[in-house]
Amino acid sequence: MTEGATSHPLKKAKHQRLALVVVAVVALVAAALIATWALRNQASFFYVPSEIVSDPPPAGQAVRLGGMVETGSLVTKPDGVTIDFVVGDGDARVPVEYKGIVPDLFQEGSGVVAEGRMLANGTFRADTLLAKHDENYIPRELQDMTAAQKQAAIEETTK
Amino acid sequence: MRAGLDPWPFVIASYALAIIATFALVWWSWRAMRRAEKRREEVRRK
Amino acid sequence: MHGFANPKRFLTIARPLTPALLVLGSLLLFGSLAYGLFAAPAERLQGETVRILFVHVPAAWLGMAGWSVIAMASIAEIVWRHPLAAIAGRAAAVPGAMFTAICLATGSLWGRPAWGTWWEWDGRLTSMLVLLFLYFGYIALAGATAREGVSSRISAIFGIVGVINVPVIHYSVLWWYSIHQPPSLSMGKSAMAPEFLWPLLAATLGFSLIFSAVVLMRMRALLADAQAEARLRRKALDSDRRPTQGEW
Repeated sequence: MTEGATSHPLKKAKHQRLALVVVAVVALVAAALIATWALRNQASFFYVPSEIVSDPPPAGQAVRLGGMVETGSLVTKPDGVTIDFVVGDGDARVPVEYKGIVPDLFQEGSGVVAEGRMLANGTFRADTLLAKHDENYIPRELQDMTAAQKQAAIEETTK
Repeated sequence: MRAGLDPWPFVIASYALAIIATFALVWWSWRAMRRAEKRREEVRRK
Repeated sequence: MHGFANPKRFLTIARPLTPALLVLGSLLLFGSLAYGLFAAPAERLQGETVRILFVHVPAAWLGMAGWSVIAMASIAEIVWRHPLAAIAGRAAAVPGAMFTAICLATGSLWGRPAWGTWWEWDGRLTSMLVLLFLYFGYIALAGATAREGVSSRISAIFGIVGVINVPVIHYSVLWWYSIHQPPSLSMGKSAMAPEFLWPLLAATLGFSLIFSAVVLMRMRALLADAQAEARLRRKALDSDRRPTQGEW
């Protein structure tokens, strides 16, 4: 008798909590969908140099350009804060200009992601620079050592 | 290389965070386990 | 298979294994992190920031491994009705979520000096954040189903569906080429100098042993709770049946 009386509100609370759980799951799926949507949006505005050359975005459209800073291309303008460099991906090259503070890891021969827009003259004007590093992990000293060892090895064999 | 951000605060913060969080997780799990196993023994004895 | 399903047999294995994993894991971790903090060489481009690698990569691996454990336990629960499987899945959720959070936080601390930003909506970063929210959802769901005595199959299904995100995380750096670098380690080849590779593997093993110990401890706690509850329920039933309370 008493059992029937207590089990009814208990069941109700159970249903309410299950509804809460369903809401939580729906919210989660929505979050995942928003994330993928944001990602697709972001990916569609991401260009590598060969894409920007073959299928350029409309001039003035905010896009992101990713690639390698070509060795020997980095030039600091006389004002000291404006820099010019070339971003390449092996197939195409895009000249970039940027004014501002550069991140530590930004250097020639290393990866970069530039946010900005294409100008009518084919130059990319960057508002933000992000340094992208590659998958290689090489100690600083070892890099010098292997160069020296190579030298030694070459001398050894040519003797 | 340009002199830029000092990397050490970032390195130390990462290590401190990882070590403290791991230790806290172990300690908390250990205490919860001891408490639960003690309760089981008490219930059994009664 | 069902030999391990026996809680008694599980306990005879888990009792000595827990401290052994903790001690061995702590030793490995202490050694590899001390090396990472004080002895590892500066990297050619990243400089000293590279040290964060030794906590970031193991945390990322355990965040993904934790969900793989949940998925396998969920399959074992649904297919074989393995009695310890639901407990194993629940036990792996909190440590998995915590290591995912550590991965995101240390990645952010790495990104600021190395990339020049705390956060980017990059494929790898976004999918890792989604993993953290999946953990929160699973923990809430598993807790609610256990409290309400509802079948834990709902959370098991959630665990199996959510595993889709794990390969997405792995391939995200190739699918959405953006700021996160591609993997340095894959089957049989490494783009890492041995000075970084071996300590990283040691740190990963150390963190993994501690993770396993935490999962075992949480399993033992959940098992003890379940056994105590069952005992109390049985006792309550027994005393109800006995009409010794006077008024009758």
